[in-house]
Amino acid sequence: MTTQTPSQDIADLISRCAMRDRAAFRTLYDRTSAKLFGVVLRILRDRSEAEEAIQEVYVKVWQRADRYVAGATSPISWLVAVARNHALDILRARRPVSDDIDVALEIPDAGPSPERAAEDSDERGRIEKCLGLLDVERADAVRGAYLDGFSYEELAERYAVPLNTMRTWLRRSLIKLRECLTA
Amino acid sequence: MTTPEDIDGDDGGAKTVVAEYVLGLLPAGEHERIGRLIEDDQALRAERDFWISRFGALNSDYEEVAPPGHLYSGIEARAFGAAAPPRKASIWESLLVWRSIAAGALAVAVAAVGFNLMQPARDVASLTTQLVAALEEEGSNVKFVALYDGSGNVRLTALSGEAVPQKDFELWAIQGGNNPISMGVIPVGERSSVTIAPDVLAGWGEGSVLAITLEQSGGSPDGTPHGPIVAKGAVTAI
Repeated sequence: MTTQTPSQDIADLISRCAMRDRAAFRTLYDRTSAKLFGVVLRILRDRSEAEEAIQEVYVKVWQRADRYVAGATSPISWLVAVARNHALDILRARRPVSDDIDVALEIPDAGPSPERAAEDSDERGRIEKCLGLLDVERADAVRGAYLDGFSYEELAERYAVPLNTMRTWLRRSLIKLRECLTA
Repeated sequence: MTTPEDIDGDDGGAKTVVAEYVLGLLPAGEHERIGRLIEDDQALRAERDFWISRFGALNSDYEEVAPPGHLYSGIEARAFGAAAPPRKASIWESLLVWRSIAAGALAVAVAAVGFNLMQPARDVASLTTQLVAALEEEGSNVKFVALYDGSGNVRLTALSGEAVPQKDFELWAIQGGNNPISMGVIPVGERSSVTIAPDVLAGWGEGSVLAITLEQSGGSPDGTPHGPIVAKGAVTAI
């Protein structure tokens, strides 16, 4: 065996899943399911829901393995994104329908375009540094949105501010974060 | 309610929507709509991947929790049950076979035809709906998976390979003893979709071979390949 980083190993396993290699899928599950189960458990906050969700997550991983683009994101980030998105879909389906956000889509044209960041480990310090530039509460709100899947409503309640204030906080924080992360 | 300030104001609603999408802050309908827009636009996909990667640095905060052991069999049943109805073709799912398909595309093309004769009769629709090709070549790190779902498009995913300055990768269809037909220049390092032209579609199916060559920038000027083959593979049903 040549030496590979764990990240390359995971990327290889995902590629093999794209080629319908069932043994590789088993290995991928063994190597990554504790992390992804941790993700759905934290966001859903319900063990039996999380057990159902993790199964659906891996079915999606098998079905969508060909969509993983090596180099665009690290393989573990991609897997966590699949798990997070699935858990968030479940939360969203539970929430009452709201129609009060209708923004046009526009790519930020100021500042450098995002470069690819294939390895997350180097990035930890960077995002911490950039979050550190925000007010403590606002940085915590960003973390809560990412790690716990809190909605604007939940965040507004948590920090006892009106919904629109929360939205403004978070959007401004994201703009600052982007500036810092691309600097 | 949406007000002009939401879009143009200094709270930057429009500028942050991809980040909000990645965080999962958009309501259900909006989340789906924005997701589709991102999927269709390369710059937006890059923006999405940027946020996934940067927020991904926080993933170490997720504690690892081993899921109960009995879940895996349920996953297999759902994943493999839906994706591949049980049949004797399980040999096609092993990586070794995929590798040999790429190594000897032509031989396998012949074998695939013979193999197909051993299968229970399937109608034309089911033969053309799910085709896959693993494209690789010894001595080259360019690897693609091509999937055809019956829609007239081939979806290409680059598994590995780097862009080469002043050069482009060009995709070719080889059918029977005919000359390769260009399917156009393809990007590396991202997913892409290629529409199958009528002349390719006419002979399209199991046994067709897809090949990728390295050509001058913009692709071969005269419709025949000049550069080296960096990846190839036979199309087979899944």
